Amino acid sequence: MRYYAYLLAHYRLILKYSGGLLALIGVLNAVPLLVIAFYLDEMLHAPAFLLASVPLFVLGSLLWTHIKQSEEYSLSVQDGYVIVMLSWVFAISASALPFMLVSNLNFTQAWFEATSGWTTTGLSVVDVKNAPKIILFHRSFLQLAGGAGFAIIALSVLSSVGNVGLSMAEGRTDQLAPHVRQSANIVLRMYAGYIVFGVLALKLAGMGWFDAVNHAFAAIATGGFSTHPNSIGHWNNAAIELVIIVLMLIGTTNFFLSYTLLKGKVRAFFRSGEVRIFLVILPLACLLLLFVVTMPLYNMLDIALRVALFEAVSAGTSTGFSLVSYHNWSGFGWLMLVLLMLIGGGSGSTSGGLKYLRVYILYKAIMWEFKRVFMPTHMVNEPAIWQGEKRELLVDKQVRQVAVYLGIYLAAFVLGCGAFMAHGYGFQESVFEYASTLATAGLSVGITQADMPALLLWLQSVTMLLGRLEFFAVIIGVVKLVTDVRRLLFKDGVGV
Amino acid sequence: MAQSKHIIVVGCGRLGGLLATRLSHSGHKIVVIDKREAAFDKLSADFSGFRFVGDVTELSILRQADIEHADYLFAVTTLDNTNLMVAQVARHIFHVPHVVARVFDPLREAVYCDFGIQTISPTKLALENFMSCVL
Repeated sequence: MRYYAYLLAHYRLILKYSGGLLALIGVLNAVPLLVIAFYLDEMLHAPAFLLASVPLFVLGSLLWTHIKQSEEYSLSVQDGYVIVMLSWVFAISASALPFMLVSNLNFTQAWFEATSGWTTTGLSVVDVKNAPKIILFHRSFLQLAGGAGFAIIALSVLSSVGNVGLSMAEGRTDQLAPHVRQSANIVLRMYAGYIVFGVLALKLAGMGWFDAVNHAFAAIATGGFSTHPNSIGHWNNAAIELVIIVLMLIGTTNFFLSYTLLKGKVRAFFRSGEVRIFLVILPLACLLLLFVVTMPLYNMLDIALRVALFEAVSAGTSTGFSLVSYHNWSGFGWLMLVLLMLIGGGSGSTSGGLKYLRVYILYKAIMWEFKRVFMPTHMVNEPAIWQGEKRELLVDKQVRQVAVYLGIYLAAFVLGCGAFMAHGYGFQESVFEYASTLATAGLSVGITQADMPALLLWLQSVTMLLGRLEFFAVIIGVVKLVTDVRRLLFKDGVGV
Repeated sequence: MAQSKHIIVVGCGRLGGLLATRLSHSGHKIVVIDKREAAFDKLSADFSGFRFVGDVTELSILRQADIEHADYLFAVTTLDNTNLMVAQVARHIFHVPHVVARVFDPLREAVYCDFGIQTISPTKLALENFMSCVL
C-alpha cells in the first residue's frame, strides 16, 4: 500500500513535468507562424500550426500549474526517462500535424518527417521544391529545437526545475556550471550565439536571408534539412560550403569542450581525447576520399577537394547535407561515408551516432589490454582520459557501458539493414541508408522516399528516435511506464 | 531563490549529502568534495552541482572547486581535525566570507572560536535536547 502511494506520488510529478514540456512544445510549434509576417500569402496555413500548438499549450499549462510540487518526493532519474520518452513522442506527433494538413502527407510520412526533424536526422519525404516557406521553416526549426533537446530548453525556461533527472535522461551528463539550470542557460546562450553567427556568415557567403536562416539552423543542429532538393549542391559556391563546414564542426563539438575553448583554454581543449581522435579520423577520411574516390572521379583537384572535404565533414558530424549524388562513387567511398556516419559526432553535442568519445574509450581500452601483458604484475598504474581540464580514470564500469552500447548499436544496425534487404533493396543501398538513419545523419542514396513501404518508414522513425535518445532512454522509459501503469491499474505486486 | 551562492561542501556523508542536495535544490551552486567516489551515492537527482573526488587537505582540489570565488564553505567530514584544517585554510588563505565547521568534541569549540570560525557541534545539540527531555 505504501508502495502504491509512492508510485502515485511519482506519477503525479511525472504528469506535472510532462505538462510543462507539453506547454513548451506548444510554444515551439507556434514559432513558424512568424514566417507569415514576411510572407503574407502563407496566412492560409496558419490554422494547421495553431492546431499543433494551442491545444498542447493549454493542456500542458493546466497540468503544470494545477499539480502541486510535493514536498516529500522529488523527481528521480528513472522518472526523467519516462518524461523524456513521453514528451518526445508527443512532440513528434504534434509537429507531424502541419505536414499532414499543409503538405498532404499521410500519417506515416508526416510522423517520419517530424521524427527526422526532432532527431536532427535530415532524411526527408517532403517535396521541398513545392513546399510553402512556412513548412520549410517548420522543418528547420524542429531541427534547431531537437538539437538543443528538451532538457536544456525546459531547464532554462521553466523556473523551479532544478533537477538533473531530465538532463541525465536525455544524455546531457557534462555540466558546464555547478548548477544544472545555470549550465543549461550557458548552453542555450552559446547555441543562440552560434545561430546568429551562422546566419550572418551564410548571408555574407551569398545566400538569401530565408535560406541563410534555415541552413544555419540545420547546420548547427547537425540536422541537414535543406530548402533545395540538391541540398548545398544547389549553390555550387565554395564560400557557402566552407561556412557550412565550419557550422557543422561547431555543432558537433561537445558543448562542455567548446565552453572550455571559449574560455580561452586552448590546451585543455586539444588535450581532450575526444577532440584528438576526431582530429585523426576526420582528416584521414578526407584524404582517403580525396585520393581514392573523388580525384579519379572528378578529375579536377579543386572540385575533388571540395567534395571530399564537404561530404566527409557532413557524414562525420552526422549532419547530412550533400553536394553530389553518390551513385557513381566506388564501394570504397560508400564504405567511408557509412563508417563516418556510424561513428557520428561528438558526445554532449547535437550529433548522433556512436560518438567519438566512445570510440576513444574503446581505443584506450584495447591499447590498455595489450600493454598490461607487458607490465610487471605488481605495477600500480591506471589509464586515464582527458575531458577538457578534467582527468578521468578509465574504470571498468565505463568500458563495460561503452561495450554494451556498441553491442546494442551494432545489433540494431544489422537487424535494420536486414529489414531493408528483405524489402528487396540492394546490399549497398540498404547499409548506407540504414546507417544514415541509425546515426541520425541524413545522407541518402535515394531510397528514402514518400512512396517507400510504410513498414520501412516506421522502422526508420523508431530507429531515429532510438538513435537520438541513445536506446536507453526509450527502452527504460517504455519498460518502466508499462510495468508501473500495470501496477497502478491492477494493484499488481504492490502488496495491497 | 534570491541570489544563487557558490557553496563548497566538504565531506559527503549523511549530513554532507543531505546538506548539498537541499542547497542545490534551492538553486545554489554547489561543489561537493569527498575522498571516496562511492560517497556521492547519497546525493539524489535533486543535486545538480559538481562532485570532486580528492583529499581536501590539498590545495589543488580546493582550487579546482573554485574556492577563490566561494561564498560559503561547510566542513562536515567526520573528522574534527580535517574540518578544522580545511576551515582554517578557507578562512585565512582563501578568505572565504562564511566558513562553518562541524565539530564533535565540545572541548575543541573554543579553539575554533579563536580562529574566527563558526562551529556547530552535534554533540552539544544532542546534549541540550536530551537535557530538555528531563525537565
